Amino acid sequence: MQKGLLAGIKHGEAALETRGITKRFPGVLANDRIDFEMKAGEIHAILGENGAGKTTLMNILFGLYQPDEGEIYIGGKPVKLRSPLDAIDLGIGMVHQNRKLVSAHTVLENIILGHPNAGRILNLRRTAKEIEELCARYGFKLDLNAKVWQLSEGEKQVVEILKALYRGAKILILDEPTSALAPPETKKLLASIQAMARDDLAIVPFITHKLPVVLAISNRVTVLRGGRVTARLETAHATEKGLAKEMVGREVIFKIERAQVTRGKPILQVENLSALGNKGFLALKGVSFSVHEGEILGIAGVSGNGQYELAEVLAGLRKAAGGRVLLDENDITHAGSLARWRHGMGYVPSERVDVGSIGDFSLVENVTMNFYFDERYTRRGFIDYRNLGKLTEELIAEYNVAAPGPDTPACSLSGGNLQKIILARVLSRKPRLLIANLPTQGLDVGATEFVRNKLMAAKKAGAGILLISEDLDEILALSDRIAPIYEGEFMGLLAAEQTPRERVGAMMAGVRPEEPKP
Amino acid sequence: MFEFLARSLEASTIFTLAALGELVGQRSGILNVGVEGVMLFGATLGFIAAQVTGSFLIGFLVGILIGGLLGLLHGFFSITLGGDQVVSGMGIWIFGFGLTTYIGNPFTGPLGMGRIPKLWGVSPFFYLSIMLIVLTRFVLTRTSLGLKIRSVGENPAVAEVSGVNVTKIRYLCVTVSGMLMGFAGAVYSLDYNPVWNYNFLMGWGFIALALVFFSMWNPLILLGGSLLFGALWQLSLNPQLVLPGVLSRYVWRMAPFAITVVVLMLMSTRWFRRRWGAAKPEALARPYAKE
Ligand SMILES: Nc1ncnc2c1ncn2[C@@H]1O[C@H](COP(=O)(O)OP(=O)(O)OP(=O)(O)O)[C@@H](O)[C@H]1O
Ligand SMILES: [Mg+2]
Repeated sequence: MQKGLLAGIKHGEAALETRGITKRFPGVLANDRIDFEMKAGEIHAILGENGAGKTTLMNILFGLYQPDEGEIYIGGKPVKLRSPLDAIDLGIGMVHQNRKLVSAHTVLENIILGHPNAGRILNLRRTAKEIEELCARYGFKLDLNAKVWQLSEGEKQVVEILKALYRGAKILILDEPTSALAPPETKKLLASIQAMARDDLAIVPFITHKLPVVLAISNRVTVLRGGRVTARLETAHATEKGLAKEMVGREVIFKIERAQVTRGKPILQVENLSALGNKGFLALKGVSFSVHEGEILGIAGVSGNGQYELAEVLAGLRKAAGGRVLLDENDITHAGSLARWRHGMGYVPSERVDVGSIGDFSLVENVTMNFYFDERYTRRGFIDYRNLGKLTEELIAEYNVAAPGPDTPACSLSGGNLQKIILARVLSRKPRLLIANLPTQGLDVGATEFVRNKLMAAKKAGAGILLISEDLDEILALSDRIAPIYEGEFMGLLAAEQTPRERVGAMMAGVRPEEPKP
Repeated sequence: MFEFLARSLEASTIFTLAALGELVGQRSGILNVGVEGVMLFGATLGFIAAQVTGSFLIGFLVGILIGGLLGLLHGFFSITLGGDQVVSGMGIWIFGFGLTTYIGNPFTGPLGMGRIPKLWGVSPFFYLSIMLIVLTRFVLTRTSLGLKIRSVGENPAVAEVSGVNVTKIRYLCVTVSGMLMGFAGAVYSLDYNPVWNYNFLMGWGFIALALVFFSMWNPLILLGGSLLFGALWQLSLNPQLVLPGVLSRYVWRMAPFAITVVVLMLMSTRWFRRRWGAAKPEALARPYAKE
């Protein structure tokens, strides 16, 4: 393998090029003759809806998959990428959609793992100094001796970027760089990305939604749909509406019609609820609220502020450390999950792979997990797979899930499509109370619009919804009332209509309002 | 009293070597519950080789070699074939117990080669085991190789994309691991108690296995644990030396096993896992398949 093809590359020179990249999976053409080119010092965004083939293309560029056809050129020379090691040697670095870090190790250990110049005996002091220089240059702040499990999502991402840079990456591929970040973290990351581009790095962010991010930082955009390139353009000539149309193939309406429903009696009442986090500390510190029929209560907060624990306690997956939960005025604080589902509660967990689905199970079986207790789909104790198969097919069609069929294993779905199945199965049960934790994470603009409309429709039909989200736009667009959460406490409970965006944003960051309102 | 101390240190040497082997394997994510089987092989074949050739050196080399081969076998089953590591380990134990009983039976009796000279009153292998502990700790915490081993045991997929050859590291560790266990067996049958008879090992390997969990995968704590267990074991052989008349030797012999049970119970409590849970290699006993 020829190393250093990118060593002396100058601003504006071609860094990477693909010609006719094609990749097939059983029943899917994931990449269809993709031509793509990028220059040093350029931020070139790749856009595409769920299942468009972005992650597949990136895995090919990083040597994780072999293309069935097509060539890759680096610095003008054809190369073969047999493994990630080849890609790293050539100066390609990657930040994955699902973080690839050893959580028990320190930041420093993660960065130097597998580094060819790490030396037989690790010289941690020298390495730390070099990495601190990188941090200073691009404006990252990080404790290099912290363990990775202690870090926030945004910090983990920084670790991955540092790891790639320290390896000498000249081309940096970022899969969904901002999808798990809170607004202030996003802002910082974008500034760092721009600083890196000024140093002649070529940067390729892959993005499914958050089009404003694309417009703000990129120089050029390539749009994929169904594995094929549908548009290539300068960002200067692009608009949010236009990009959305190219991605999805139709107009996307960003504004949601807020359904005016007179709110009914309270379904869920929570009194002074607290819970421990995974590390044994109090993560949720006494919150009280109620959710009424025909209402969406939005919990706005940066991840790691107790909303995850709140969702788990409400779903019966985590013990409450104190306080009470009433569902229809029955105390369910200590009830199991099944009792809650039977009572009409539905739950969308934030971890679609680890909690929301079983990868080796088919889609039908994954749908079954929400129906095995439902008389309509069981007969004398036996599960009625025929009907569930039909239901799954309907859900795949209705939610426009890109999957060959109901018997596909869940693990072969792209991130966004898996999320659609999880939402589809719980909404089709018509829950009276829905706990939705990050329901649109990783969904493309079209699917996001679709899901938000579905939530609105459920509310119209009288369901109460607890919406947990880091996306302030989503909270503002959907909620009737908003509770910003910070370090396990509600900063207030606001009526959505009279609340300016900045105020909610500030409260998410821990600023308490002067005069608390009911 | 000095005699008792020296003998406990020698007993602990065997625990240290075998458990260190298991620890190296586990840090790379490979669980080998067949420690006892590997030790039996190392002890029996080492014993026979030494008796036949009249050379201690050859005895030890044979013990180490057969240990390494069994480690490779376990590696082939659990890394290349991706099989269940507990099943493979149990297989090695049952196989080891049966076959070594059969092979060793004609050699029942003392080795008859004189004793290996002591160093400051204690077997030289004791000092060697301390050096190996220090070396292992150094390798694991301070070197690139150690970082790779730990990463492979925690999260092989991450190690792979960072350019670490998971298969190679795991094979290396599981082989070294087997060599140490085989060596431990040979030290038992050539130095500590140079007599071959039926079921002479009596569960030492299983205690070594438990010691690894007890140590929280830390070589220094492991050393402390084996010193404690060595003393307890020695106490069970002749309790009258230290505590004349207190309880029967059979009660004392139970002590290491009873303590192991208590420790394992403690370790499975919620409190313990919350406090120390991170110490366990995340990918322990989980086969890794490349995408
Ligand atoms: N390992 C695989 N086996 C089978 N099919 C796969 C595999 N990986 C991806 N696919 C299929 O290839 C298509 C493209 O998937 P890919 O993950 O590249 O999409 P994506 O653009 O990254 O979408 P998302 O925004 O949802 O992450 C999808 O239809 C997916 O189901
Ligand atoms: Mg993707």
